[in-house]
Amino acid sequence: MNKPLYLSTLSLLGMLLFSTTLSAASLQAELVDSEGQPLANAVLTLRSEVAPVVAPVTAVMDQISQQFAPNVLAVRSGTAVSFPNSDNIRHHVYSFSLAKRFELRLYQGTPSEPVVFDKPGVVVLGCNIHDWMVGYVYVTDDPWFAVSDAQGKLNLEQLPAGTYTASLWHPQAPDMLPQDAGQVQLTEAGSLQRFTLSMQAPGGQTAPSAPVSAFGDAFKKARDAAQ
Amino acid sequence: MLRNSFQARIAGVLVLLLLVVVGALYVAVQTATNAAVRSQAREQLDVGSLVFQQLLEVRGRQLHDAVQVLAADFGFKDAVASGDTETIRSALINHGARINASAVMMLGLDGNLEVSSDRQISGETAKRLSAQVMQRQREGVQIFLMPIADKIYLLVQATVTAPLPIARVMMGFQVDDAFAAELRELTHLDLTLRATQDGVADIWISTLQPAQSKQLQGSMAELTNDAISLIGEESYLNQTLVLASGDGFEVRALLHKSLSQAQEAFAPLDQKILLIALAALSASLVGALMLARSVSQPVRQLAAVAERVRQGDYQASLDLQRGDELGRLATAFKAMQQGIAERERQLAHNALHDALTGLPNRTLALERLGSAITAGRPTSLLYLGVANFRAVNESLGAEGGDLALQQLSRRLQAVLRPGDSVARIIGDEFLLLLENTNSDSAVGIADKVQQLLLKPLRVATHDFALDCRIGIASYPVDGNAPEELLRRASIAMQDAAGMPSHLQVYQQGRDDAQQRQIRLIRDLRHAPDKAELLLHYQPKLDIAAGQVRQAEALLRWQHPTLGMVSPGEFIPLAERTGSIQLLTAWVIEEVLRQLREWAGRGLRVQVSLNISTDDLIDPQLPARVSKLLAEYQVPAEQLIFEITESGVMLNPEVALQVLHGLRACGISLSVDDFGTGYSSLAQLKRMPVQELKIDQSFIRDLDDASEDSVIVRSTIEMSHSLGLKVVAEGVEFERSLQLLGRWQCDTAQGYLISRPLAAQAFETWMAQYVHAPSTLVH
Repeated sequence: MNKPLYLSTLSLLGMLLFSTTLSAASLQAELVDSEGQPLANAVLTLRSEVAPVVAPVTAVMDQISQQFAPNVLAVRSGTAVSFPNSDNIRHHVYSFSLAKRFELRLYQGTPSEPVVFDKPGVVVLGCNIHDWMVGYVYVTDDPWFAVSDAQGKLNLEQLPAGTYTASLWHPQAPDMLPQDAGQVQLTEAGSLQRFTLSMQAPGGQTAPSAPVSAFGDAFKKARDAAQ
Repeated sequence: MLRNSFQARIAGVLVLLLLVVVGALYVAVQTATNAAVRSQAREQLDVGSLVFQQLLEVRGRQLHDAVQVLAADFGFKDAVASGDTETIRSALINHGARINASAVMMLGLDGNLEVSSDRQISGETAKRLSAQVMQRQREGVQIFLMPIADKIYLLVQATVTAPLPIARVMMGFQVDDAFAAELRELTHLDLTLRATQDGVADIWISTLQPAQSKQLQGSMAELTNDAISLIGEESYLNQTLVLASGDGFEVRALLHKSLSQAQEAFAPLDQKILLIALAALSASLVGALMLARSVSQPVRQLAAVAERVRQGDYQASLDLQRGDELGRLATAFKAMQQGIAERERQLAHNALHDALTGLPNRTLALERLGSAITAGRPTSLLYLGVANFRAVNESLGAEGGDLALQQLSRRLQAVLRPGDSVARIIGDEFLLLLENTNSDSAVGIADKVQQLLLKPLRVATHDFALDCRIGIASYPVDGNAPEELLRRASIAMQDAAGMPSHLQVYQQGRDDAQQRQIRLIRDLRHAPDKAELLLHYQPKLDIAAGQVRQAEALLRWQHPTLGMVSPGEFIPLAERTGSIQLLTAWVIEEVLRQLREWAGRGLRVQVSLNISTDDLIDPQLPARVSKLLAEYQVPAEQLIFEITESGVMLNPEVALQVLHGLRACGISLSVDDFGTGYSSLAQLKRMPVQELKIDQSFIRDLDDASEDSVIVRSTIEMSHSLGLKVVAEGVEFERSLQLLGRWQCDTAQGYLISRPLAAQAFETWMAQYVHAPSTLVH
């Protein structure tokens, strides 16, 4: 499960090693909602004046136990994401998001062609035959980014010390838009930073399993009046 | 009348009671049926509304499921996600058609209407729709009713997810007449749906008749739940349901239950009740009439019998074989009838029979006599009286007298031949009716009766011989009328008293004498007041002196129609009937008045007048006379009261007292008619009399050799030796006067000297006599 992230981090580390040889900083971030609860699957992106040149990379969005894994995947624009199917059933992965419309018709195993996410934005993934399967691909132009773990924590290492502009995103963010998190000063000593996201009010999304009509009340009222 | 009042009353009361019962029953049944109909309707409405709810919800759920499936269709999602309005609209139309939706709309997650299969939805409706969608979304309601344009829709919404919600799709299914009809099929209720929207005409959907629906549209507001309302010709119980309401619209459902229809089910019951009521009414009417008849008929019968009893018929049969009160009444009635008959017989018997002897009485005797006369049978009447019954009564007492009469009646009955009868008329008087017997034969029978009665009666220990007198009168010889014959027989009986045989056949004319007597008795009482009486004076000669100084006042009665009535006739009548005192009083006063008058003219006469037996027993007489003497200023010496010996004998004690009283006044007393009665010298000696009057029967034919002369002479001598003067009356011959003078009789009175004279004539006579007295006396 941590393997793709691990791979990604390794590549990132390699990239950093090449660019900043002398001074390297790191960021330990803790993401919480407005009530101070740790937020999992939250994305933190950092950008600075100096933009390093980055070669295109790949990422993987697996489907395990009829769930997208990871639930939230953050990628740089232009990243080709492959959608291997680890289940022994078929999936029909699609997205009608503006950032990327695609459809992987019922398949098993790993499709031959990965999907390239070339535009920044949120791509909501679904499976046509498993309505409960929802996954997110957060496509960003920022060079540094990470997704919080179950404890709401994430680590960014091998960053050049300096000043960064931070952005936050979460699937339950209002209108699913990234939030500006201000400037972040990173030193070689490393820093521990706490970020707070404002979230959309929960509920309202969940469709009730049984249809509800408004008639019961009217009839009940009439019956009560009659008695 | 009886029928009218009694039968009608019973029938009326019964019918009235029945009417009340039936009326109450009818009202109760009506109330119960109405209540039942109503509660049934109420229940049906409740059930119906539940069914209606279910119907709506089931329909909604089906639709929702369908819409849900549709919204999940990948192609549909793809089309929606395309963002091309026309594509989306065509997809909506296409997919709506798959599930027969009447309208399909796509709304944004914010509720804004984005695409609609119907392009005509106005901004206002769209806004309202959006508001509803959002509100329903908040409420978690996915199925609801709403009017859109001119139709009512059952709206179902579903979210289109990709996989997050990207839009809402809304499908509308028209609620129309077919839906209402289906509900009606299921529930037998009528349904009216009304949708109101601002600015749009109301939408009406109804299963009612068009006319009813139209009426309902006008009066919707007046309908209230659980109240009965008249829609068209029928009455309905209604249930109102507000199925949906929001800003500017409302959908209201009305469930109607026709009570009229429900009540129709009870119409046969009403008819049956009416039938039963009519049957019971007529049956009770008949029953009441029969009952009343069973009472009134016997009552009528009883009344009829009572009427016959009133008319005197006690034989009317009363046949009521009943064990009830009326039967007992009839029995009592019969007993009463018999009782009345028995008592009436008794009364009739008593009325016609004598209680003592059991013999027919006077009435019955007269009736029988009348029958005999009517039949023309010669009949003789023997009128029998017991002369000495008074003596019997006195010695035996009234009871003994009754016994004697009973014995007498038995003896008389023994004499009777067949056809004869005996009756008790009164007291000791009996009547024997002898039919087919003439007067002569009757005498024979009367004699036989007398012979039979001679044998003494034995009452208690005493033997009595009855002294019976019998008078005989016969039809047709002595009269034609029962009363007349009876009276004449009675007269004959009275006359028989004077006959030695004590038997007398009626003498023609006796009845007239009797009639005259009755009249005299009646008129005598009024004679003094009517100035019909007058006094005549007969001079009395003092033989020795040859002078007339005395006179006897003799009463005369001038009857207005019968003329002069002799004292010999009316004095005994007056004595018998108790009028004599009246006459005496008048005589005394008249004599005094006359003496007073004469005294005024110088005529002084001593007048004697007759005092009756009744006067002698009046203790007040001396006082009254004394008062009158004083009043008329007449000396008592001028009055002589002539009394009879027998008068004194009746009640010697009182009589002697009265005589002494009179004597004390100075009035002289004279004993009249001496020698006719049982004269007693001893008695004479006790009486304060001064004079003795020898009865004229001794004087009239007086001569030397007769026995009379002995009596007269010795009487004169005896009187003188007692110190009494002697008056001889009835002197008619000169020779008698000479004898009297020789025997030294003091006074003479008679026709020889003068007949009695009226006062005026007496006065004249006296005047002449004074001048020539020698003509009378030698």
